[in-house]
Amino acid sequence: MDMKKPFLNKACLILPMLAVSATAFAQDAGAGGGAQTFFYDKFFGTFMLALAAVVILAAIGTLYRLLNAMIKVKQIEIYQEKGLEAYLEEAKKPGESLWSRLYKRWTNVVPIEKEQDVLFDHEYDGIRELDNSLPPWWVAMFYITIAFAAVYMSYYHFFGMGAGSKEQYEQEMDQAEKAVAEFRSLQADQINEDNVTALTDEADLSVGQAIFQVNCVACHGANGEGGVGPNMTDQYWINGGGIKNVFKTITYGVPEKGMISWKTQLRSSEIQKVASYILTLQGTNPPNPKEPQGELYQGETDQPAPDSTAVDSGGGVGMN
Amino acid sequence: MANLEQFSYDNTIVKKFAIASVVFGLVGMLVGLWAALELIFPTLNLSIPYTTFGRIRPLHTNAVIFAFVGNGIFMGVYYSLQRLLKTRMASDLLSNFHFWGWQLIILAAAITLPLGITSSHEYAELEWPIDIAIALVWVAFGLNMFLTIFKRRENHLYVAIWFYIATWVTVTVLHIFNNLELPVSLFKSYPVFAGVQDALVQWWYGHNAVAFFLTTPYLGLMYYFLPKAANRPVYSYRLSIIHFWALIFIYIWAGPHHLLYTSLPDWAQSLGTVFSIMLIAPSWGGMLNGLLTLRGAWDRVRQDPVLKFLVVAVTAYGMSTFEGPMLSIKSVNAISHFTDWTIGHVHIGALGWNGFMTFGILYWLIPRIYKTELFSQKMANTHFWIGTLGILFYAIPLYWAGWTQSLMWKQFTPDGFLQYGNFLETVTQLIPMYAMRALGGTLYLTGACIMVYNLLKTAGQGTFVANEAVEAPAREVYVKHKGDHWHKWIERRPIQMLIAALVLILIGGIIEIFPMMLIDDNVPKIATVKPYTPLELEGRDIYIREGCVGCHSQMIRPFRSETERYGEYSKSGEYIYDRPFLWGSKRTGPDLHREGGKYPDSWHYNHMYDPRSMSPGSLMPPYPWLIENDLNTALVPGKIRALRTLGTPYEEGYDTIAIEDLQKQAMKIAESLRKDGIDDEGLENKEIIAVIAYLQRLGTDIKPKAQAGK
Repeated sequence: MDMKKPFLNKACLILPMLAVSATAFAQDAGAGGGAQTFFYDKFFGTFMLALAAVVILAAIGTLYRLLNAMIKVKQIEIYQEKGLEAYLEEAKKPGESLWSRLYKRWTNVVPIEKEQDVLFDHEYDGIRELDNSLPPWWVAMFYITIAFAAVYMSYYHFFGMGAGSKEQYEQEMDQAEKAVAEFRSLQADQINEDNVTALTDEADLSVGQAIFQVNCVACHGANGEGGVGPNMTDQYWINGGGIKNVFKTITYGVPEKGMISWKTQLRSSEIQKVASYILTLQGTNPPNPKEPQGELYQGETDQPAPDSTAVDSGGGVGMN
Repeated sequence: MANLEQFSYDNTIVKKFAIASVVFGLVGMLVGLWAALELIFPTLNLSIPYTTFGRIRPLHTNAVIFAFVGNGIFMGVYYSLQRLLKTRMASDLLSNFHFWGWQLIILAAAITLPLGITSSHEYAELEWPIDIAIALVWVAFGLNMFLTIFKRRENHLYVAIWFYIATWVTVTVLHIFNNLELPVSLFKSYPVFAGVQDALVQWWYGHNAVAFFLTTPYLGLMYYFLPKAANRPVYSYRLSIIHFWALIFIYIWAGPHHLLYTSLPDWAQSLGTVFSIMLIAPSWGGMLNGLLTLRGAWDRVRQDPVLKFLVVAVTAYGMSTFEGPMLSIKSVNAISHFTDWTIGHVHIGALGWNGFMTFGILYWLIPRIYKTELFSQKMANTHFWIGTLGILFYAIPLYWAGWTQSLMWKQFTPDGFLQYGNFLETVTQLIPMYAMRALGGTLYLTGACIMVYNLLKTAGQGTFVANEAVEAPAREVYVKHKGDHWHKWIERRPIQMLIAALVLILIGGIIEIFPMMLIDDNVPKIATVKPYTPLELEGRDIYIREGCVGCHSQMIRPFRSETERYGEYSKSGEYIYDRPFLWGSKRTGPDLHREGGKYPDSWHYNHMYDPRSMSPGSLMPPYPWLIENDLNTALVPGKIRALRTLGTPYEEGYDTIAIEDLQKQAMKIAESLRKDGIDDEGLENKEIIAVIAYLQRLGTDIKPKAQAGK
């Protein structure tokens, strides 16, 4: 009787675990769609069918064992009525805890005392081998992973139900866009290049200075004297001076000049602060200034900023 | 009993490989520690090119994998094979050719890698002449093994030998296919495959280097040394059979799990995922057969340091072979990939499984070939505890670092900004963890030093038995018994076993790789993607030389957190001229696939000269030699010809005017630098110009924006 047990366990194990794995991979970011080919459809179709057949056969086999076991139980009952005491005794055989019985069934190991019965007679340099059977829990785990693979490939590829990398990305972006739009709609008025004003409050300017120190000094110098990027302490501006133009340049960048766009890294309120700070640098005459670039900018006007393709340093007007 | 034949086992070759394994183990660990410290103190390369992180990282991985573990494998195989087959190795000459050849290859690697001579394929960095040498030496090893098997005195091959055979044949296949390359000069070649295809082949190799160099031979060793040391029968012969064949068949498919969410087609990624999941049981079969063999011997595990090392090794194997499949699930991989989680994972394998197994074997085997007892059990126990502590101190901080960095990368503010828009913030955050890791490595290395002392003392108190005399009956013609297990059939037939293993491992490789090569749909073409200019090509080869790929990926995955940070996600069609591909596997610095046009030329110039001047707090070492060195253009025409042969559409005869083009482009970049006040003498001839050209080109083919400096 003992040796039939593993199959029963297998059935008990496989079914709930299958359910678990099905929900597990639903969260798993899968693949699918995209570049599938005829070859793959066909090959995997066959492969999966074969796999499915194996799984179904295993299931039928398990059910068969289950049925057999139930019949046996019934038989014992019948023998009991007829008073066959030998069977009665065998059926009782109590004493073991549930845990130890489960453990035995799931590991199906031959106890060390009986090891001699399953010891092969060959030896290699003194190494002997036992003929223990495969641990049933291990076998069950193997089947489950195979079933997982079959379900996974079917879900994402053969039936194309799961989202591929690309679709997942699009979904993620859509969701984020909606969430951000909703959040922003609840916020106070947004600052943009049309309504931005220069801040003068000391606290705002010191925040602006801090942002400048972290993000800008690498190219524009510690004191705005310029370096890789232009000098910001003189009155010459490549993309226009004044709060609106500076705000705009920081927000969108000037890629062809190497100025990156900061709108994904700084909030508009932060850009307003750093732009306001930059404007306070005007006329500070720091050491080692870079030569003026761009055009002389006089006061804030309503006119649009000069074209970004304007004169660069080569044609700039020398000042000193 | 039939008449006994007298013969002897060759212990000298075992001793040689043991010494090599220990020596290179120390070297490999020391280089690893150095590399780890460079991540905390970026100037630790002492301002010379040869010791920068990018160059010594491959030195560390190669030293540990091929020198420490490699020599460890050969030590264990030469010891166990002779005894399991009851015969001496077939040819002492081949044994020694194998030994000296392998050490010369290691020497060549130790010289060429710091020099920047590299193919940049991870764990296959060595250039083509060394690849050929490896193939020759590997074949000599195989030949020697099979000749020995043929003259065996046992009828059947023990399970350890199945693993040795599968190892040999698979490594042969992997090594050859991943190193198909067209030489340009003695030290430079281009791979036959480009872009996505190159990536797929490389990670088919890379993953199976783990499988068939770090796993299967060590399982073989486990099957010999563990039952010997425990003096217990192997738990289950049937489990050996099932897990052996299942393991080699399934393992080979799992490579694409290194490329999840990359430009590799989804179907190939999914195969990587599902086969990794199916790999759990076959991997654990080995662990079970190891641990359950110890039934009834656990009381001795408490006292015997050898068993302690083996138990921790097998447990570490079990942990990492469960963790690996979990990391192959795409949603987990989206967190782990490109972070230190991966580094922590591989070190559970390397320090725990390979390292501790090697130490256990050394403690068992050295006293035996020196006919003595281990000098100090106490010292071995100390080694065990320091080593175990070292593993924990190594791995836990790196798991922590990986999770921290990944979460920081992905964190958005409610108004839609990256919380940590500056990549550097996510790196400087990790420095305390990196320091803990270096401490873990130091502990582990200290343990290894204690072992060396203990083993030297052991050798000193014993007498080495170069040729161990034994006697055994000759092999009798096998008569089939009734009730023989069906698997016995193939255990008598090494050649059939070799072929069966070969066929099994080819299936997965062929099904994954061939369609990528043959079906155009898998790599959709993009019309705007053009070959690199000669200057960009030179810049790219410098990028490869400096090992930039060790810290910078070139693969933007389709996640909001990546496209916000770096730009449009990467498309497979963008890489078709990339020989080799440079996607990378770890981001210690930011991704560079859309680097082109992001900063001005002069930013790059200053950044290379002193990274911290442009990015305060950066961990990148300075590269002043790029600014001092003149660009060597001697190979340009040859490179263009080689790439043309491989299919890059340069026009015919372009090789003759390539240098002219190169100079023109260099002048332009030099001009743009001069405008920003950088006016070194001969600026246009420097290597930095080529590097800038390459960086400014990156990812711009499908980006409509104008490029800086053009």
